Amino acid sequence: MGYSTIYAVANSDIVYETFDGDAVVLDLASGRYFGFSDSGSCVWEALIAQVPPASLVGRPCGDGLLSAADLDAFIARLTEYGLLLPATDAVSTALSPDLAQRLAAAREALKIDMHDELADLVMVDPIHDVDEPAGWPAVKQ
Amino acid sequence: MKLGIVLPVYNRETYVGSALRSVLRQREAAEFDIIVIDDGSVDGTAEVVRSFIADGAPIRLFSQANTGVTRARNAGLRRLLDDTEFVSFIDSDDISPVGRFAADLAHFRSDPGLELTYSYMRMVDQIDDETLEPVAGCDDRIFRGVHLSAGIYRRGLIKRIGDFDEELAQSEDTDFLFRIFEQRARFVFPDTIALYYRRHEHNLTRNLAESRREFLKAMQKSMRRRKADPTLGDLRGFIQVAHPTGDGAPLRP
Repeated sequence: MGYSTIYAVANSDIVYETFDGDAVVLDLASGRYFGFSDSGSCVWEALIAQVPPASLVGRPCGDGLLSAADLDAFIARLTEYGLLLPATDAVSTALSPDLAQRLAAAREALKIDMHDELADLVMVDPIHDVDEPAGWPAVKQ
Repeated sequence: MKLGIVLPVYNRETYVGSALRSVLRQREAAEFDIIVIDDGSVDGTAEVVRSFIADGAPIRLFSQANTGVTRARNAGLRRLLDDTEFVSFIDSDDISPVGRFAADLAHFRSDPGLELTYSYMRMVDQIDDETLEPVAGCDDRIFRGVHLSAGIYRRGLIKRIGDFDEELAQSEDTDFLFRIFEQRARFVFPDTIALYYRRHEHNLTRNLAESRREFLKAMQKSMRRRKADPTLGDLRGFIQVAHPTGDGAPLRP
């Protein structure tokens, strides 16, 4: 991984929110959804805000410091799942004080959990997404 | 057996009569107690409901200031009668197909430990409000998805799961069903089509941004619960998508 790389959400099928510090991500194309550990939520939020990974390495994270190896592995999972891509023309931003504080207070290792048991529901997306111009009902291919 | 059916409604004078007729035509299936929560309608909804009551239908109408669908559903649950054994729901714009209640209640008769039947829904864009059937040739899709009306719930299960989560303005149904399957309720998935889900321009769920946010919130809550308690069940097998048949017959999973 190039630590100066800036990342961005891979495409418009990746939708996400954070509730009470818990990030949740849904891939409308695959139907998979994702949850994170507390530190994972912070890093996800930082990365999609275009904070360069280099500026995260060595930051206080729970009882220790965020290591390059752990961050590298975490970003590899995010890209492997198709959630993030390098953003070639993005402008980097600094880590917000709030995220830095949350990261320092985290108690769990960097982790992302993938779930696919609702894929059928999300793929047919009957209630939560109607593509009006394409007609209805529509199943995503 | 007594079946309480909760119907929250807000400004649906056009559709609520069809929804009620679709249930009332099945009165041989059980002793019905239809609980209508009029959530502050300003159209003729209440008058439509009262006309059914005047004709002797087993409907109790409760009117309240507008609080949103989640609180309206909870208001309905609080009005269940002491001797109600089973609970179901119907939304004010949906249709309960002929024979739906008889078919699924039979599962409870043959299995005293059963807590839930959860059947298919048929999503359609045109319903004939005279016959209460989908219009021939309309767009449709049959699947087991997220819809409270797909279920019949033993009263004890409702008590065990608790109220709808009033932090959720939408996807309160998703969250409720997630909690049921996390709690490993004893269920069957019958082949019945439990409802015709009517798509129309006023569907609550057409506000896409809010719908997605609330759906993600329900997912987050489920993941948080399962993380805190790994003994909870996951949601595998809950959703089953079938394909359009053209004749309304359900496909087997």
